[in-house]
Amino acid sequence: MASKANHHPSAARQRFGSDWRAGRITAWLTTVDHKRVGLLYIWTTLGFFAVGGVLALLMRAQLATPNENFLTRGSYNQVLTIHGTTMIFLVIVPILAGFGNFLVPLMIGARDMAFPRLNALSYWLFLLGGIVLLSSFWAGHGAAQGGWTSYVPLSTLHMPGHGEDFWILGLHILSISSLVGAINFIVTIHNMRTSGMTWTRIPLFIWAILTYAWLLVIVLPTLSAGLTMMLLDRQWGTHFFDPVHGGSPILYQHVFWFFGHPEVYIMILPAMGIISEIIPVFARKPIFGYKAVAYSTVGIAFFSLLVWAHHMFSTGLPVGLDSFFMLSSMVIAVPTGVKIFNWLATLWRGNISFDTPMLWSLGFIGVFTLGGLSGIFLAAFPIDWQLTDTYFVVAHLHYVLFGGSMFAVFAGLYYWWPKMFGRLLDERLGKLHFALVLIGFNVTFLPQHFLGLLGMPRRVYTYRPGGIWEVYNVISTVGSFLMAVGMLVFVLNVVITARSGRRASNDPWLADTLEWYTTSPPPAWNFDRLPYISNARPLRDVRRRLEAERWK
Amino acid sequence: MPAGVGRRAAVVALAVVAVLLVPAATAFAGNGGLLPPPAHSPNAHRIRDAYVFVMIFVGVVFVIVEGALLVLITRYRRGKRDRTQEGPQIHGSTRLEILWTVVPVVMLTAICGYIFYKLPGINDAPPAAAANQTTITVEGHQFYWLFRYPNGAVSIGTMIAPAGDVVHENITAPASEVNHSWWVPELGGKTDAIPGQTNHSWFQAPIGTYVARCAELCGIQHALMDATVKVVPRAEYEAFIAARAAAPGGLDVGKEEWQGVCSSCHRLNETYVGPALGGNPLLRDRDGIENLVRHGLRQMPAVGENWSPEQIDALIAYTKTLPKQKANGFQS
Repeated sequence: MASKANHHPSAARQRFGSDWRAGRITAWLTTVDHKRVGLLYIWTTLGFFAVGGVLALLMRAQLATPNENFLTRGSYNQVLTIHGTTMIFLVIVPILAGFGNFLVPLMIGARDMAFPRLNALSYWLFLLGGIVLLSSFWAGHGAAQGGWTSYVPLSTLHMPGHGEDFWILGLHILSISSLVGAINFIVTIHNMRTSGMTWTRIPLFIWAILTYAWLLVIVLPTLSAGLTMMLLDRQWGTHFFDPVHGGSPILYQHVFWFFGHPEVYIMILPAMGIISEIIPVFARKPIFGYKAVAYSTVGIAFFSLLVWAHHMFSTGLPVGLDSFFMLSSMVIAVPTGVKIFNWLATLWRGNISFDTPMLWSLGFIGVFTLGGLSGIFLAAFPIDWQLTDTYFVVAHLHYVLFGGSMFAVFAGLYYWWPKMFGRLLDERLGKLHFALVLIGFNVTFLPQHFLGLLGMPRRVYTYRPGGIWEVYNVISTVGSFLMAVGMLVFVLNVVITARSGRRASNDPWLADTLEWYTTSPPPAWNFDRLPYISNARPLRDVRRRLEAERWK
Repeated sequence: MPAGVGRRAAVVALAVVAVLLVPAATAFAGNGGLLPPPAHSPNAHRIRDAYVFVMIFVGVVFVIVEGALLVLITRYRRGKRDRTQEGPQIHGSTRLEILWTVVPVVMLTAICGYIFYKLPGINDAPPAAAANQTTITVEGHQFYWLFRYPNGAVSIGTMIAPAGDVVHENITAPASEVNHSWWVPELGGKTDAIPGQTNHSWFQAPIGTYVARCAELCGIQHALMDATVKVVPRAEYEAFIAARAAAPGGLDVGKEEWQGVCSSCHRLNETYVGPALGGNPLLRDRDGIENLVRHGLRQMPAVGENWSPEQIDALIAYTKTLPKQKANGFQS
């Protein structure tokens, strides 16, 4: 618990100053306020999202027709590498950290994170890491070209120049940033919950962020080890991964995927947490099966540590290992299904309003389901031998990371925007944004399943002319530009509502959780005083109490 | 207005379904995209069977979940109700939780069971008693595939294999290489060619020509690193490898090397990935060309590091037949 003195409103006011948003640039540069750090994270990641998106459009433009000469060979490989790395390390993981920073103290009724300065450090390291990673483009011989997985020996012995070294350094910095942030989340959630907020009364988003943080703490050191070995191999003549001198290229894949697969769940669990917050509010019902949803989060995280080699089925592992990793991967489908069924049951007999956050959440269920189901083919290893490293995998991962994580991120942005900025985003533009992206997304990625089955490998800058490949590729490119238009609508929405958006009350959505108890945006000290928490929906209690008093 | 929102959501949902149907219809009309490519080897057949088996379960679950989603959001939309009106405060149901845990477990068990049932037929080649056996080594290089036959013959870019035989593939790459992945979609799944490691796969195919591709990002020309598997009558196969073994430095070998290896990155008269080679004196200098292909130069990988002296002879024999001068008007 935070020290008692801070809970006295006037003391808190004195300590935190009058208005946390009043400062100019220097105030933002020196801020340790969790809300400001969260917003810095969110704005920065949205910037990186634009960069990653433009890189994706470049690739789709190149692949629109066979033998295109728009962006070929080395430059294509640079773009695909930086696109993947940016979207994963500079967009999804940190934007979820941004939501966590803004929301965790508000949701658990704390004044700030446990270590505000560490919090600022993790943001600035993130920005630095991002800049280092992207500056890879200006290195001799261009950016890293080994894909976001950066397999060896391609990335060690066969990649001249320093692009790859920038990539390694960037990821090292980003790992430290994430690690610092994760420790901060864990300490905050364990120690700073307000009175009455027991483990079964914390919002499901908090369960998700806690699990996200634990997973980061467990797997990031493995990534750092792998990156360090790679850097040593490249620059100091060691031979960890060099088969000429007895090293093992497969070792790298084990190390990378021991980090890399939990990373997938690091990117999806908080997204699921966002969905679990939004659906009950707009269905006017409690979440169905709170404990089932919370425990399935932990279950998914645990099993995510045991499935890494399903990315390596074609590397010639013994059949026994293949079988083990198939079974463990299948097991993960079960808690994932539990979540989906509980969300559907939450809708049942609800009073469903289709505000933009809800549309994105329902869209999430729709497309994530397909992404989850296509994963079953990939878990069954003999089928994976056909599908791995093809566009089927590209489609699958975009259904879970874009259709999953990014849909949830937009749901969260529309939902918490009024809390963050005091103004609501425009609903009509929001719905247009959603419709364009939902349609564009499916038009882009659905045909990629078929391309993979037809034999198109991933990470190719061109393909031979002929037949249905051309049809699917051009459809896919059209879809990607449709999505881009949708994203421009979002930018327009943000710009327009910045001055003229509808002012938000404390609780515009009639929500359930504590962040809606304070003003929009919240004061620096977050809350003047807090009610005792007696269940998982404190705000509903407050509303009911007020209602009861009104009719007395 | 609230009813309008509901209707709009329904319209959006319908639009999505329509959009999903368009490519599905296209796929049915053409010859594929919903299933793995037509199979011409027993293991590929069984993989396809397994795919179809999983597809049935996945299809049913997909329809149930998406159907439930559409029904629920249509049936329980707000409509004319007040936004504040709450639904029944149901917090969960242990029975339902058990139900939707157990049913997927049963389903996934069925899938795994079927996979294990098919696995021996996919993984294990038919025994020697059942069919003739041949072993061919498949070597991945930047950016070509090299095939070694039991009698020492070598070919590049095209694998010649005997029809009806069980062809065992030893799939590997030289220790100084990068990872590749050998994939003949119609003859089975992928097997990675990893430096310093040998993996195994097999096929048993009728006469025909099958496309092979590299499926692991292996560098700048990964996209174009494909090959052909030509399955021919046994006699023709025997004749081919005998001829190759008898003349390992022949002009046809050199032509394969030029087309399969050099041409991945070089053109005679224009700059491609590497410089134009037309008129380059190296094309007539055996030691020079040997040094180049064995050790590489700057960005160029050591493409012929493990070639036999005869393979070098073959290359120089072929390059000597190339025109001495660059084509007119070419400026490098």
